[in-house]
Amino acid sequence: MENIIEAQNLKYSYSGQEGCAIKDVSFTVARGEFISVIGHNGSGKSTLARLINGLLEPDGGKLTVLGMDVCDGKNAVEVRKHVGVVFQNPDNQMVASIVEDDIAFGPENIGVEREEIGKRIDWALSAVGMEQYRHSTPARLSGGQKQRIAVAGVLAIKPDVLILDESTAMLDPKGRREVIEVVRRLNREEGMTVILITHFMEEALLAERTIVMNRGEIALSGTPEEIFKRGDALETFNLSLPRISVICKNLRAAGMEIADVLKPEELALEILKNLNNRGIYGGQSSFSPPAQPQTRGDWDIDIKNLAFTYSKKSPFATRALNGVNLSICDGEFFGIIGHTGSGKSTLVQHLNALIKLPQAEKKYRKPKVKKGRPAPVLPSITVGKFDLADKKTDFKALRASVGMVFQYPEYQLFAETVFADVAFGLKNFNKKLSDAETEQAVKNSLEIVGLNYEEVKDKSPFDLSGGQKRRVAIAGVIVTRPHILILDEPAAGLDPKGKKEIMELLHKLHREWCKTVIIVSHDMDEVAENCTRVAVISGGEVFACDSPANLFTRASELSALGLDVPLTAKISTYLGQNGIIIRGACTVKEFSDKVIEIYEGGKNA
Amino acid sequence: MLNDVTFGQYYPADSFVHRLDPRFKLLALIGFIVLLFVANNFYSLAACAIMLIITVIAARVPVGSVLRSIKGIIFILVFTGILNIFFHSGQTVYWQWGILKVTLEGIIFTVFLMFRLFFLVMASSILTLTTTPVSLTDGIESLLKPLTLIKFPVHELALIMSIALRFIPTLIDETNRIISAQKARGADFESGNIFKRIRAMVPILIPLLISAFRRAEELGDAMDARCYSGSKNRTKYKKLRFGWRDLVAFLLIGALIAGVVLLNLYCFDICPQIYRFIRVY
Repeated sequence: MENIIEAQNLKYSYSGQEGCAIKDVSFTVARGEFISVIGHNGSGKSTLARLINGLLEPDGGKLTVLGMDVCDGKNAVEVRKHVGVVFQNPDNQMVASIVEDDIAFGPENIGVEREEIGKRIDWALSAVGMEQYRHSTPARLSGGQKQRIAVAGVLAIKPDVLILDESTAMLDPKGRREVIEVVRRLNREEGMTVILITHFMEEALLAERTIVMNRGEIALSGTPEEIFKRGDALETFNLSLPRISVICKNLRAAGMEIADVLKPEELALEILKNLNNRGIYGGQSSFSPPAQPQTRGDWDIDIKNLAFTYSKKSPFATRALNGVNLSICDGEFFGIIGHTGSGKSTLVQHLNALIKLPQAEKKYRKPKVKKGRPAPVLPSITVGKFDLADKKTDFKALRASVGMVFQYPEYQLFAETVFADVAFGLKNFNKKLSDAETEQAVKNSLEIVGLNYEEVKDKSPFDLSGGQKRRVAIAGVIVTRPHILILDEPAAGLDPKGKKEIMELLHKLHREWCKTVIIVSHDMDEVAENCTRVAVISGGEVFACDSPANLFTRASELSALGLDVPLTAKISTYLGQNGIIIRGACTVKEFSDKVIEIYEGGKNA
Repeated sequence: MLNDVTFGQYYPADSFVHRLDPRFKLLALIGFIVLLFVANNFYSLAACAIMLIITVIAARVPVGSVLRSIKGIIFILVFTGILNIFFHSGQTVYWQWGILKVTLEGIIFTVFLMFRLFFLVMASSILTLTTTPVSLTDGIESLLKPLTLIKFPVHELALIMSIALRFIPTLIDETNRIISAQKARGADFESGNIFKRIRAMVPILIPLLISAFRRAEELGDAMDARCYSGSKNRTKYKKLRFGWRDLVAFLLIGALIAGVVLLNLYCFDICPQIYRFIRVY
């Protein structure tokens, strides 16, 4: 097959940074291939994309695209006609406020005739399945839809190669599925060459070939099966194994014969084969019903009839919450899931009165109730002893007790030093604090988030690495020792190792620092593995609120809502259809143990 | 704080005025403003008012939102009003103190001026209520096109405007998020004196600025990757077209111009009837 990209001994280093971002990288890409590139943060994956597209010029080595030398500046535009890149943040790639104008931008740049542009817009929009949004404005689309428009904008240039540079990192599972589906179809049906750079191992599995980057070099290259077989090697590259590979490994360790498979249905078949060989054709793992709802304490949260509408009384009014009833007990590690736009962020912003209940607004007057009509149902929220429907409540004290870490909290850092930034909240809430007390509190909170106080306190927060910045931002919230800590997508945008570390940090905080931890997430596996109870929010209502073990037995209902189900629930469903009932297994370890239990049971019988 | 800022003034509807060519609407507005200042008596002003009322009806926008646009210029209105009442010269003096005097001519002139400004603001607000910022930009770009001959960067200007429009909602969202995050850390933006309040903005402005730069950089890369290399050899997908509606509206405006010119010629005085009436008594 024709090689579309050829790279030999590529080198690149950013000015002002130590070490090479890319050192001595050689590879070829054939026409029509689907390649995935994985690697830890800073491994050089994105640099690679920018080199291929001619956005960066290599320091050494040779790079050709369709025989053109990319290093020659004269070829830059010509190369970009053939290699399209979709970047990470969908918001920062659009130039126009109307979808069709944005898609037209690329073809206009290369001087395509008017009528032909129209045809290309039609084609690109149908390729990404967004025909009906031609005249929409991107601001009103979901993340996944915006990213599909970004893909269409690149497609309209009619490139031969499509590079996705972590284009799914900021999307929810639904949006990610949409984008990946589009890309796979383009590869299959249009023969588009695809290079998919990603943090999600599950996405990397879909390619024909996977390249693993480590510290600016290609560490491994091969089919996904070959790569993920080498589990231990991956971990030394700061990558995690896909969950499914971990289960395979666990089961093999228990003596089962499991091939390295990458799809849940295949793994279920493998498990069934093993069980059948032992004469097991049905069975049930032991099932201990999950602990009863948590006991109530001093800091319970009770939400009743909560409704909320954005831009009320304007033509753009949107209802975000629609009668939410929910109780969260003191001491829980609680999860709130739902896809983007389900109202989950709006819900948690009520808990520390960032959004006040209507009755708590200064201007609020009791509505007059007409005779014969029922009185309107008013929403109510209590958090511990705070009544959020009361105007007289001390909302500042409430905010000191209910800490809130927003999505991408590192974007809210502002002070000159890490110390000043962390102390900001402390000083706001308690103006009388002495310097020594302030210092002690800042020190404690920086240390619990895993940073060395002496090392970072005088640094500018903007000089830290991405993971460190997020830790500083979390420290800046927990410094007041809130009883309840709420985090909106705490692991968003991190690489697998960073994700794992942040979840470990949250468990540590739950044990030692804040009594109640509430995480808002769209990652089902994350929630299933960490939370004591989970509320599923859909269309502004609580669809279900239960322990993960109970909740994920309702896999089909969740899928119907457009939500993902944890991997273990997927495999359990397949097994259940074949008489092997596994209930209440949420983590990879629990699941492996229960399968092994049935398997061992067969041996004893 | 910014929760209720729906971007721009645009009122979505599908009316005659909404569907006019934005270039025509811009030119018509300019023409209307010129007419307002050409009009030198209450009859021609009344003709303008009738035109305005017809437009509001044809635009199917709520009358309230057109009138509300006055709020923004109330200060200017009061200021010029006071200035004119006290300083305008005239023969029928009602009150005098030093150089300050109130005359009949002054009062009439002030009322006249008020109406002019009222109509001006209302007409502009009809334009922004019925035209999306995007098509307004398209219109401006198209109208400025002749300036490319004198090397004026019309395309670049239009691109800057279009990108600015595109990012306003994004940055408003971002601002709201940062405000909420800092409020959650106990920041207080609503109390204290003006200096305190300005200082309290720092934790919002710095992250916002940093994010704007980050976005600009990423957008630059994305534009490069989509083959952007300036206006050279560039084609344009969208073309504006004059339609039958524009012709109808053009005829109406033409009738108005003719009307105002005739009324100006035949009723020279600012408002002869009132003069005569007041002088008699």
